[in-house]
Parts: sequence; C-alpha cells; structure tokens
Amino acid sequence: MSAQASADSYTSVFAEVAAMEKEAAGFKDEVKVLVLRQITIEGIETLIKHHLYSQQIRPIIEFGGYGTMVQDVLAAESVVSSDPDLIVLALSIDALDQNYGSPGWTKDAVRSELGSLFEFLASNTRATIAVHNFILPLWPEQGLVTDIAGLDLATQVAGLNKFVLEAVRAHVPRFVLMDWDRYLRQLGADAALDERGRYLWGAPFRRPFLDLWACQLSRVACVLRAKTKKVLVLDCDNTLWGGVIGEDGMEGIQLDANQYPGRAYFDFQTTVVHLAQRGVLITLCSKNNEADVSEVLDQHPWCRIKRDHLSAWRVNWNDKASNITELAAELNLGLESFVFVDDNPAECALVAEMLPQITVLQVPQKLHELPRLLLRDGLFDTLSVTQEDRERASRYQVESQRKQTRAAYGSINDYIRSMQTVAVIHRVSPGEVPRVAQLTQKTNQFNLTTRRYSERDIELLLADHNVAIYSLAARDRFGALGLVGVLIVRITDKLGEVDSFLMSCRALGRRLENAMIEHCLASLGVAHEIERWTAEYVETAKNGQVADFWARMGFVEIEAKDGGKRYSCTADGLICDGSTFVKIEKD
Amino acid sequence: MTPANTEDKFFAIVSSLLNLPCDQLNRESSRETTEQWDSLKHMYLVMALEEEFGIEFDDSEVSDLCSAGALLDSIDGKLKP
Repeated sequence: MSAQASADSYTSVFAEVAAMEKEAAGFKDEVKVLVLRQITIEGIETLIKHHLYSQQIRPIIEFGGYGTMVQDVLAAESVVSSDPDLIVLALSIDALDQNYGSPGWTKDAVRSELGSLFEFLASNTRATIAVHNFILPLWPEQGLVTDIAGLDLATQVAGLNKFVLEAVRAHVPRFVLMDWDRYLRQLGADAALDERGRYLWGAPFRRPFLDLWACQLSRVACVLRAKTKKVLVLDCDNTLWGGVIGEDGMEGIQLDANQYPGRAYFDFQTTVVHLAQRGVLITLCSKNNEADVSEVLDQHPWCRIKRDHLSAWRVNWNDKASNITELAAELNLGLESFVFVDDNPAECALVAEMLPQITVLQVPQKLHELPRLLLRDGLFDTLSVTQEDRERASRYQVESQRKQTRAAYGSINDYIRSMQTVAVIHRVSPGEVPRVAQLTQKTNQFNLTTRRYSERDIELLLADHNVAIYSLAARDRFGALGLVGVLIVRITDKLGEVDSFLMSCRALGRRLENAMIEHCLASLGVAHEIERWTAEYVETAKNGQVADFWARMGFVEIEAKDGGKRYSCTADGLICDGSTFVKIEKD
Repeated sequence: MTPANTEDKFFAIVSSLLNLPCDQLNRESSRETTEQWDSLKHMYLVMALEEEFGIEFDDSEVSDLCSAGALLDSIDGKLKP
C-alpha cells in the first residue's frame, strides 16, 4: 500500500473522505474493524478510511463502548459474534487501574488484566489483533531521583511495554504491535499528545498521532486483503549507486558509505537487502552492459546487494516495459505485485504508461530521502517472515538459471548433460528415515507402486536382512536438490523384487531414475548373485507417467491385471544409459 | 464585524465537518438547532478550527461555544492583533 501519514488537517481529510464515500461503496474488498477502546479516538475512523480508500478497500469500523472495555470484552459475546477481521485495542492505564499514579503503584494488576484480555481475544476470535504499548509519563513524579526499587511510574510502564511486546511475539502473526512509543518519538510530544483533549474529552491524541496509527492499521488491512507487493525491480545507475557505471567505472561511481552521496545509496542498498531477507524478490532492470553491472555486484567493496539477493535480472538495452513483462513471466507473478524504482522520470513515465498495474517510484530529488523510500509506505508488508520467505530468492534464482540453460541448449540430451547432475546413492541410514518415509507418503506422480510407509515401517524394513533400501540425493551445477529418490527391494534366494521405487517431482527430467535403478540393481546383483528381477506398476489416478517405466528399463511384462502390471527381467537384460547423463558419486 | 473571508472559511470548515451544505448554516446555527452537531462533532470542529485558523480556544470556553456565532466571535477576537 502507499498510505503514509500525509493528512494536512481534519477539514481536508473529512472533505476527501466524504467525496469518496460513493465510490467506496462499490469496492470489492472490505475489512471489518472493531475498535475496543477506553479513550476517545473516533477521529481515527475517517483517517483509516482516508488511507484505505486509496487502496480500494472499504473499512467497516465499529467502536466498542467507552470506558468499561475489559469487562465488556470478557463478558460479551458481541466481540466474537461480530466476527471482525481486525480488532484494534486502544487502552489507557488509568482506566485499567484506578490506582495508577498513586505512590508505590506497580504494574501487576494491569499486566494480569492485559494478559487475560489478550488470551481471550486470541482464543475466541479469528481476528488479527492490533495491540499497542503505552506512552511513558513525560513528567517524572520523583523529579531527579532514580527510584532504587524501580517503583517510579516510568519504570513500571516500561515493564508493561515489555510484557505487551512479549505477548505480541508469542502470537505472531495474529498480533501486530502498534508502537505508540515510536509514534511519539517520531512526532514529538507537542504534535502527538493533546493534554487539553485528554482532560476535556478523554481524547489524548492529536491528529498527527492518530494518523500515524491509522496508517499502520491500514497497512495491516492491506496485508489482510493481499494488497502488498512481492517483487522489486531496480534500476542501477543513479538508483543503486551514484553515477553511470559504463562511463564512470568502478572507481567513479558513488557508493562509499563514508561519503556523500555514496552513503545514501549504500543505505538504500541496505534496505533492499533487508527486503530480500523478508522474502521480497529483488530484480534488476537496467540499460547497461551486463558485465559492468556484474562487476559492481561482485567486486565493489561497498555494494551490499550481491547476486545471491537477486531472483532475476534484465541488464540490456531493451525498453524497460518489455523487460519487466519478461521478468513477470520468468518469475510467474502478476505485474500488480511489482514495484519499479528508477531515477529517470522518462523511464518511470514509460513504465507507468505501458504497465499501469505496477507501482512506480522515482528516486527522490532529495537524496537523503532515498533510504526510506521502500520502508515508508509498507509496500512489502507481511505479518510474519518464515524460513521459506528467507530462502525464496535463491530458489527462484536456481529455477530461473535452469530455465535459461534449457533455452540455450539445442537438444534435450545436451541440456541434461549440461546440468552436470551428480547423484549420491547409498543404503538408507537411520538419519534418513524421516525423509524416506515422508517421500513414500507424499510422492504421487513418479511412484511405481505408491506404497505408503510410516517412519516405523521404514525402520522395520531396515532391520530386515532380506530388504535393501536405497536413497538418492542429488545436486546439479545450480544447487542441491536434496534426498529425492527411494528404492526398496526384497531379496529371496537369487530373486530380487522391487517393492517400491519413487522419485520426487523436482528431480525429474534428468535421468536420475535410470541411474538409480542401474546402479542399485547392479550392485545388489553382484552381492546377492541375483538371476532375475521382478517389478510392479500399480496404477493410481496420478502415476500415469510411469506406466511404461519398467518396459523402458528393459523389463518384460509377465502379467497384466486390474490396476497394474507385473514385470520381469534377467540380470543382464537391463537397459543402462542413465550413467551417461548423471555422475554417480561414492560417499 | 468578522471579515468576510474569515466567515467564508469558517462556514466551509463547519460544512465539511458536519457534512451539511453551506446554505443550511448561518450565525444562528447551534448545537441545539443542528442535529449533526453532536458532542463528538463538536470536539472535531474545535480541533479543526484551531488547525485551520492557527488559534487555541481556552479550556473553559470550549464547551460553551455552542453556536456558529459564538465560535466566530471567539475566533475573531483571537485573530485580532
């Protein structure tokens, strides 16, 4: 979203919102907001609308009764039955505890009230809950004295804030922190707090404070309605560094953190790296020689953005709208989730014109504003970051390299060889049991018999001297694929019977399956003097692609029955060509 | 006598905050005669007028200024050098 604290006055906000009400009634996206409050903050309704209408979201805002909130919430069914998407808390310590401020006051009573409130909301609603911390007293009641026992109000309130933060941490992503303390720092007490309003109306906050809060709440609503962006497209010259790499060279561009304007670009790069960590896909779209840009990424001492952070790039002389369209196709993501940053107003205008779904940001004239450009509006907001998010860039990068390589090779065989796949095949070790069991349970497509085994089943099979279980782990020149293949064979006398054979989808199309069968049957054949192999294909709704696998491997059909076929093969009848595509590594 | 531009600006603000057309408002408009002018709107009206005119009403007068005329007189008094 692009909402930021920007409202100039109540009058203009009220007027702008009133002018949009009609259009807003038709917005597809709605967010039900319930404000549970002990203070007067009704003005926030208009401010939230002001932010969300620009994102085509219609908030439906209800206020809980003034003052008696905790009891209300804990007793009433209404919070649960109104089923809001977002619950906003607006509490006041003196309403939570009448004794607040008296000498020797401690936070304990408020803490326990908050604790039960949080737990009630977490377990009885499905809403996202916007929790806030409290503003520390500005006028220390003990003057210059630091209270040795920590029984001063500031210490107690700070302790409460710590409790709030812990509660939020324990409930991410259901709970989101509204950092009142930071709003105050950002605005200053005079702009944020309204002492007169507090005494006259129980309304302690001025409009700029409410607006900053409304902006944060709106960002949460945008995440809930999936309005946030996933891909960042960056220009290079005068965006990631000052100057033009093709002309100024490595020595000439400005990126040194000890200089101006280098520091501004350096800090901007830092924000980009943080976004990459949060799972935003970072891409480049620059009119440059690819080698020049690569040199900066690989070698410039102050360049924080490295190739590893990038999911894809188009560094060439084509027009940027075409390049970005290509990036969208390559990453398989819609243009509406793209943000484009460039210093050149003509490029910005072209992209905005040709690809109106994209959010276009121009590098600000005031360069000191560049570092906050991507943070300020919460464009890439999420409510939590998973391990999956952190690894997203590298997965896209690997996939896109594979695609590019595929495009560059004439024949499929050349391509498969070019991937330089290496397989490590061995008897399953106890540590591999969970993954092996998981593969038997999850693999549907390349699975010859689809027999599902639990970890316990696999352990029992491992202990059986008549059973051999092999695993295959692979890597290629782009990265590791992990443990992707499982073969289970039963041996009786000189007969070997394939019980299960499966291969994870991501490992297909590189003849790993051929290599595995070849390798395992050959080594078992020698060790157990196998004369004949038997194998089965058990048909399921999803494994049609392997219906003729055994035939392709040189097996002969000996029995066709409902839902499958049985095959047989002599020890020297196997067709062996997998090893010309895959290198098998001894471990 | 309030200068015309102050009066225009004043009624534009009141009109926007109370969501009423300007021609339904005059100096006689008050909380008693105007349904939309409830206590919450009064609070935002006070805040908006302070923002727009760069003035501050005294704590004690805030609740007493219950008509357009009274508010205008008070603003006028504060704007005079």
